[in-house]
Amino acid sequence: MTEAVGDQGSGISHGPGEERQAATSSAQPPETGPLTRPQPGRLPGTQPRTPLQLAWRQLRRHRLALLGGVVLVIFYVMALVADFLAPYPLDFSDRERFYHPPAALHLRDATGEWHLRPFVYATRLVDPGLRTFEADRSRGYPVRFFVRGEPYRLLWLVPTRVHLFGVDDPARIFLMGSDGFGRDVFTRIVYGSRISLIVGLLVVAVTIPIGMVYGGIAGYFGGRVDNLMMRVAEVIIAFPSFYLLLTLSAVLPATVGCATRFYLIIVILSSIGWAGFARLIRGYVLALKQFEFVLAAKAMGQGDLRIILRHVLPNTSSLVIIVATLTIPSAILGESALSFLGLGVREPCSSWGNLLSAGANLINLSRSPWLLIPGLFIVATVVAFNFLGDGLRDALDPRMRTG
Amino acid sequence: MIRHIVRRMLQLIPMLLGITVMSFVIIQLSPGDFLAEIRLNPIVSQETVDRMRTNFGLDQPLHVQYLRWLTNIVRGDFGYSFAYQVPVLWLVRSRLFNTLLLNIIALIVAWAIGIPIGIHAATHQYSWSDNLLSLFSYVGISTPTFFSGLLLLFVAFKTGWLPIGGMTSLDYDLFPWYGKAFDVARHLVIPVMVLGVLAVAGLTRQMRANLLEVLRQDYVKTARAKGLAERVVVNKHAVRNAINPLITIFGFELGGLLSGSAILEVVIGWPGLGQLILDAVVRKDLYVVMGSLVIGGVTLVLGNLIADILLAYSDPRIRYD
Amino acid sequence: MRERIIMPLLVIVAATLAAAMAASQSAPPTLPDIPNPKVVVEAPEIGKFGGTYIVSSISDPRTFNPIVAQETSSTGVTGAIFEGLVEQNYLTGEIEPGLAESWTTSPDGRTWTFTLRQGVRWTDGTPLTMDDVLFSLEAVFTDGVQTSTVDLLTIEDKPIRWRKVDDRRIAFMTDKPVGTFLRLIGSLDIIPKHKLGDALAKGGAEFNKTYGIDTPPREIVGTGLFILQSYVPGQRVTLLRNPNYWKVDRQGNRLPYLTRYVILIVPNLEAARLKFLAKETDLYSARAREFAEFKQGEQAGNYTIHDGPETFSSEFLVFNQNPTGVAPPKLTWFQDVRFRRALNYAIDRKTIAEQVYAGRASPAWGPESTGNTLYYNPKLPQYPYDTGRAQQLLAEAGYQKGSEGLLRDAQGNIVEFIISTNAGNTDREAIGNIVRQDFTKLGIRVTFAPEAFNTLVGKLTGTFKWEAVIIGLTGGIEPVTGRNVWLSSGSLHMWWPKQEKPATEWEVEIDRLFERATAEINQNRRRQLYFQYQEVVATQVPMMFFTNPKTQPAVRNTLGNIKLGLQGVPGELETLYQKTTSRP
Repeated sequence: MTEAVGDQGSGISHGPGEERQAATSSAQPPETGPLTRPQPGRLPGTQPRTPLQLAWRQLRRHRLALLGGVVLVIFYVMALVADFLAPYPLDFSDRERFYHPPAALHLRDATGEWHLRPFVYATRLVDPGLRTFEADRSRGYPVRFFVRGEPYRLLWLVPTRVHLFGVDDPARIFLMGSDGFGRDVFTRIVYGSRISLIVGLLVVAVTIPIGMVYGGIAGYFGGRVDNLMMRVAEVIIAFPSFYLLLTLSAVLPATVGCATRFYLIIVILSSIGWAGFARLIRGYVLALKQFEFVLAAKAMGQGDLRIILRHVLPNTSSLVIIVATLTIPSAILGESALSFLGLGVREPCSSWGNLLSAGANLINLSRSPWLLIPGLFIVATVVAFNFLGDGLRDALDPRMRTG
Repeated sequence: MIRHIVRRMLQLIPMLLGITVMSFVIIQLSPGDFLAEIRLNPIVSQETVDRMRTNFGLDQPLHVQYLRWLTNIVRGDFGYSFAYQVPVLWLVRSRLFNTLLLNIIALIVAWAIGIPIGIHAATHQYSWSDNLLSLFSYVGISTPTFFSGLLLLFVAFKTGWLPIGGMTSLDYDLFPWYGKAFDVARHLVIPVMVLGVLAVAGLTRQMRANLLEVLRQDYVKTARAKGLAERVVVNKHAVRNAINPLITIFGFELGGLLSGSAILEVVIGWPGLGQLILDAVVRKDLYVVMGSLVIGGVTLVLGNLIADILLAYSDPRIRYD
Repeated sequence: MRERIIMPLLVIVAATLAAAMAASQSAPPTLPDIPNPKVVVEAPEIGKFGGTYIVSSISDPRTFNPIVAQETSSTGVTGAIFEGLVEQNYLTGEIEPGLAESWTTSPDGRTWTFTLRQGVRWTDGTPLTMDDVLFSLEAVFTDGVQTSTVDLLTIEDKPIRWRKVDDRRIAFMTDKPVGTFLRLIGSLDIIPKHKLGDALAKGGAEFNKTYGIDTPPREIVGTGLFILQSYVPGQRVTLLRNPNYWKVDRQGNRLPYLTRYVILIVPNLEAARLKFLAKETDLYSARAREFAEFKQGEQAGNYTIHDGPETFSSEFLVFNQNPTGVAPPKLTWFQDVRFRRALNYAIDRKTIAEQVYAGRASPAWGPESTGNTLYYNPKLPQYPYDTGRAQQLLAEAGYQKGSEGLLRDAQGNIVEFIISTNAGNTDREAIGNIVRQDFTKLGIRVTFAPEAFNTLVGKLTGTFKWEAVIIGLTGGIEPVTGRNVWLSSGSLHMWWPKQEKPATEWEVEIDRLFERATAEINQNRRRQLYFQYQEVVATQVPMMFFTNPKTQPAVRNTLGNIKLGLQGVPGELETLYQKTTSRP
């Protein structure tokens, strides 16, 4: 998302420090003036603090925003070390244990003896229709930490076989149950976070640069240019992306991987989605260009492009950050809706959206409710982003500052 | 003003042309056609399939198909559905009212709830009720509609309080008018809840932000300084000004009246346009798709236009001439 | 076959007059206007009049014109309104009299003469005449009319011929004897000339649009059990009892018993299930996975879930053997029967049955379902799951697993292919996942890539650019109705459609068997020919069939005359009744 802010972009951020980076983006060059109407008697310079400190101060007061930030940090870290957290490989399936309920962790065994280390029992399928299993209580399998399992590269760099936890065969540790193929839901959620969490960043990375430049130009020049550009944007806004999507999913070759294919669709979709954002920026720029610093730059004979890039667009940064934090959640929701229509991420890849839409039916609701857990992750992420966005809006808008 | 309206209507024409040409090409780009299902029927011969292709005009070159469709549109003929063998307009009309009913009621409910909540949240910024309302509305907008629709159906099923999807009961035709109204109202509860929560959350947030901004402005301070009661200040002066920017949102919502509820309609079986159009797209029922595109595009532009007009009336600074 | 026959719910049980007499030990019942009504004897009980029967459908009807109707959503409605000259018994699959009360065959099997039942009236009061039958035939053969009936009534590229013998009799002639003629003529619905004559006169395109879903209900006139009362798009179709119907029960009561028949339109199976559990509908065709759960809820839900027989439809994996579609080395593998047999051994049908169908499916080795009691061949060669056997067969055919664990053919090419299916069909996607893992165990690199249905069909029937596909076909009772699939010249001959001349010996053999079966009038001898064809298919494995899933209809206990028929149809509309008529 920082990329979107323009000249200080440092690439897409995946992990910790999300909100800090977002906040720094507002620490723009000195022109960072009032955003809409000039407010007499409220000059930025009268405060003895930097804008960053001000924003942070404001943000800290917004408890929900902080909470959102923390949740997101946790989730993004989870995505980064997915292979370490997941006890099983992504395509692992246990044909004997499908629709297996979440593993019951025990501390007390059949003989009544207590153990320090939690353990599970091995289970056996009793009735595939009722999805019932029977535990073999004669022997417990303790949960082991830092066990050796499937090899992978930690953070795509360090080759290792160590996984956070696991149990010995034939027992299984299905923390959040297993799905209809006997695959571990927890594993799939952890791996799914990689796709689901990056979807939003990808959309933002495509829409925002295009939208800023397009909207900036239209707004800055106004008049005929603006009129023409906005009409074109309107065609794109009115264009039913749904049809495009259906068709694309048919035209894209079947041989590209399921995830690659989805990224392609997202990129193409967001190359349409910029239009709405461009319209927003344009309205903003339309107002901005009346301000003294723009007029002054013009009077100094600076080129239009330079003015747009150096003076106008940077002033939209707080708007951009807010839009970005709100676009990401809608992209995540969009992905789940696409999966519901069968157009999203396809098997055998996993994303929260396709996990949820595969699990969201009434039999599961009453028989295997754990298949709906991916929904909680979606809701939690989207709520977190929204809180953060809200907090940032309050924090970055100078008029909101009270202290 | 009238000139502005006429100009916008004229701009609609090239825009619709653009949309329809693009969609026509895109629909045709993907392999397969409406006859796919028939082709897979073991008893249907190749000759029969070919005959159907000719009947539907699918054997013609693309530009011929498009131009033929376009000239018919000008005469008010939206063509026939391949699947239903009835005019596209009849199909759309048979469901248009239901979709509009659902969306308009959801819109009214959302505004009736969203605005007061937004005012409350702004006047009680960072209070526990503000936080609780935020949390509530955020969870609302963060749940995919297909999921919340399904959950509510499940609740309706478990409790038996509400009908499970659909729009009318079996004996609807036998009811007196108030019975009919009540019956539809009962069926509306679930979809309006799902759609309403979405809209309420957005409106609340917007209203809260706008009002907070207005409340900091000088004339509000002046009003306060004059010793006016806080309630009068908020309700008489601030709220009015804070609502103005929402009118644009209202226009957007008007534009989305026909398409906003599509997925939900599919989930709960609301007999609206959603299912019809989704089927048509999936099955490549060409003229139904094209017809609904045109109708959707027109409503979108009309919605924006209405927003412009409302804005001009409510904000004297805006003039279009 | 036509949906009307696949969906025996709408098909009618009857018996000959003699059987009726034997059963009731009395004079055959008559009706004031119909001297020779059909007596339905197979229903266990004498029903009560009145009551509403409510079912659900997951899509809207697309037309009320029975000649044009294709999908079950349409035929489900038209089947209750329109009828043919003969009907299929839903329990046995045998053909019985319908609007024709009797028929005769000439000794050479090339002429069939039908006698129209007397006194039958259209629901607007107009008598049914031979002109209506002639008109219906004319409609089917009119250029531009969209109907698949024309394909059934065209035998080896020659339309059947017919001649009106007198006001009550019509004769049909074919060049060769046609064994399944009765079934074919049963697919022809008789439509009212006085209502549709004008439309047909204006040409096929106009005819296709008449009796569309925008027709005022009272305009739709049939001879069947019910009369269309109303259709509300996206919500329901309501039908009312035809008070002048031409069938009676054993005691001479005029059928049907039900006053009202309602088809609720629901968006998906989930909603259908909820509506049933909330007692808003009377019938739900449960999915295999739901069987156990429904069994538990029987008491509380006041319904019974039946352990039904297998459906006729089949899911299978097919490899492309068409040289225009795939090139060597893939073509070589796919055309190699040893390769196909080996892979067939690698498919774990037990897991498919358990995971996908919760154990309610039997393994399938051939093209006809176990549920087709008339023609299923129980002695087919079988391919029980055995990865070791598969590996051994592959090795014998020259395929070796390399050091990296990947299978290579004799030329050293890595064996890899893409399996596709139509996206959104969860059963097929689940099967695909299992099969992918099964083949991976052999060292084959398999990509499983579901595609949109339209795209897939486009490839199967148009471009032929595909490698392996998992798909299903609906089946009829008589395998010859699937000639489009099995004849090497057929357009649905999946692995290599529309061949100029058959590419292999065994395809020649199937062609020959089909030709003979088509002409064979004796049902036993026809069965023998069908057995042979199934054996050839099971030996040559052009398609790998997975399982035959069972049906499990759940039926409200208030309904009477429930007796499971072919494909799990719980009863017939004409004799179903509500024991307690709480609903009007």
